[in-house]
Amino acid sequence: MIQLESLTKQYGPTTVVDGVTLAIASGSITVIVGTSGSGKSTLLRMINRLIEPSGGRVLIDGHDTSATPVHLLRRKIGYAIQGHGLFPHRTVGENIATVPRLLGWSAARIQARVDELLRIFQLEPAEFAAKFPHQLSGGQQQRVGVARALAAEPAVLLMDEPFGALDPIIRGKAQQDLLDIQRRFGTTVVLVTHDMDEAFHLGDHVAVMSQGRLLQYDPPALLLTRPADPFVSRLTGTADRSLKLLSLTTAGEAAEPGVGEGPSVPAAASLREVLSDLVWSGATAATVMRSDGTPAGRLTLAGILARGRAG
Amino acid sequence: MRRLGLLLRLAAFSLLVAFLVMPQRFAPLFAPFTEYGAPPIYDQGSLLALAAAHLGTVFLAAAASTVVAVSLGILVTRPSGAEFLPLSRTLVGIGQTFPPVAVLAIAVPLVGFGETPTLIALFAYGLLPIFENTISALQTCPSSVIEAARGMGMSSRQRLLGVELPLAMPLILEGIRLSVVINVGTATIGSTVAAKGLGEVIIAGLLSNNTAFILQGGLVTGLMAMLLYDGMAGLEKRLLRAVHVG
Repeated sequence: MIQLESLTKQYGPTTVVDGVTLAIASGSITVIVGTSGSGKSTLLRMINRLIEPSGGRVLIDGHDTSATPVHLLRRKIGYAIQGHGLFPHRTVGENIATVPRLLGWSAARIQARVDELLRIFQLEPAEFAAKFPHQLSGGQQQRVGVARALAAEPAVLLMDEPFGALDPIIRGKAQQDLLDIQRRFGTTVVLVTHDMDEAFHLGDHVAVMSQGRLLQYDPPALLLTRPADPFVSRLTGTADRSLKLLSLTTAGEAAEPGVGEGPSVPAAASLREVLSDLVWSGATAATVMRSDGTPAGRLTLAGILARGRAG
Repeated sequence: MRRLGLLLRLAAFSLLVAFLVMPQRFAPLFAPFTEYGAPPIYDQGSLLALAAAHLGTVFLAAAASTVVAVSLGILVTRPSGAEFLPLSRTLVGIGQTFPPVAVLAIAVPLVGFGETPTLIALFAYGLLPIFENTISALQTCPSSVIEAARGMGMSSRQRLLGVELPLAMPLILEGIRLSVVINVGTATIGSTVAAKGLGEVIIAGLLSNNTAFILQGGLVTGLMAMLLYDGMAGLEKRLLRAVHVG
């Protein structure tokens, strides 16, 4: 549990973050969105005190972060940034080992952890551990950056536009990796982005910032159906909001009991994808299949459309 | 091309060593530059000993310049020392613009004749390239790398020693090389205040109107500067490859 209480940052007369209060549940992904200059990065960087708050406080599991020396605090919080920030003069293995080394782990434990992380990120240790960052592709560098942030098994991972520099295909893969890893380790992730699609795709909760203020902090669906401020609607976009809403629910979650008819769709597919399938094939219903091949129920066109309506 | 360059360097080095070890063998070459039967080869001391003393002075001064310039460069690029940056720049700049001859003139009354005033002049003259390179190297460290280092909980000391200095090393070494090479030439003036060095040969030539002496002093100094520049560049490359920078 991370609690931000009236968190404020002022530079002289300018208020960059203005009294933000929010609670982030353990093991969830919270995405902070906003335009540039909205204070979203500043808010994130006050959590690990890369920026010292001017007012308010941050509690992690009930402990005030200002009570811990900064360098010790930061070693317990993973931090990944845009452009990865890998040390160019250290190998991939040494980069990942940075925080465990600072914490004084034994060499064997560090080695085991580095290998484990490389495998999780589909980078074969024998091939990649001894490489230097400049020998990797952009996507691989980014994965090493996240692996390094996770090296000391932090309960909290802060990410500042981690996928901003990646092309769309690699970005989609990186996002999926993050979701998998978050589920695997149960890490509490706080991620900053200006990409609304990314926020909707990743966030259990989305915090919308504008001019230093927190406008809304809700699950993505509520941002669409009950925007707290006209700015939130503008940011999410209203033209395709019904489709965005459908993209937040999976076929498995929406399946109604019933026998199969029409084309089969995987349970993990979003309703938006199922709708597209139905429009494409001209069918009015689909059968939802679990990943093990057993039917999970059915979806009708009317049922899907009803879920895309406001309220 | 690379092989040719290597051959030329080897040839230059052999020539230099041969001349320093057995200068009399080269007497016929220099004879045309003498008049009235004056000696064609410097005969008031061993050229080898003078060259060694010359290099010794240069390296001692370079070591002192390096320690001071790098420390100062680190200090003024820390947040706590940033306010001293303009002042240090001015001081180091004066060291470079103040003519070394003038430094000698001021230093001799204070510390006497000999090697000490020369060391002071070379030290002051050699600060600037090292200092400026150290500063620009530390200031241009990629900000995302520094940010990541901070975010992972490295202390400022760990960041400096583990990240900033290794990344700054190529430029700092280049500054040291420049400083050394400039001072190989500059050190000849030390002989005006009785420091041992190749300047002695040149001055002897000037006093006795012996062009051969002047040529010898100049050529040996120039050749040493060139070879040092090349040799240090090669060493830098090896060193940097060993620590994986650059």
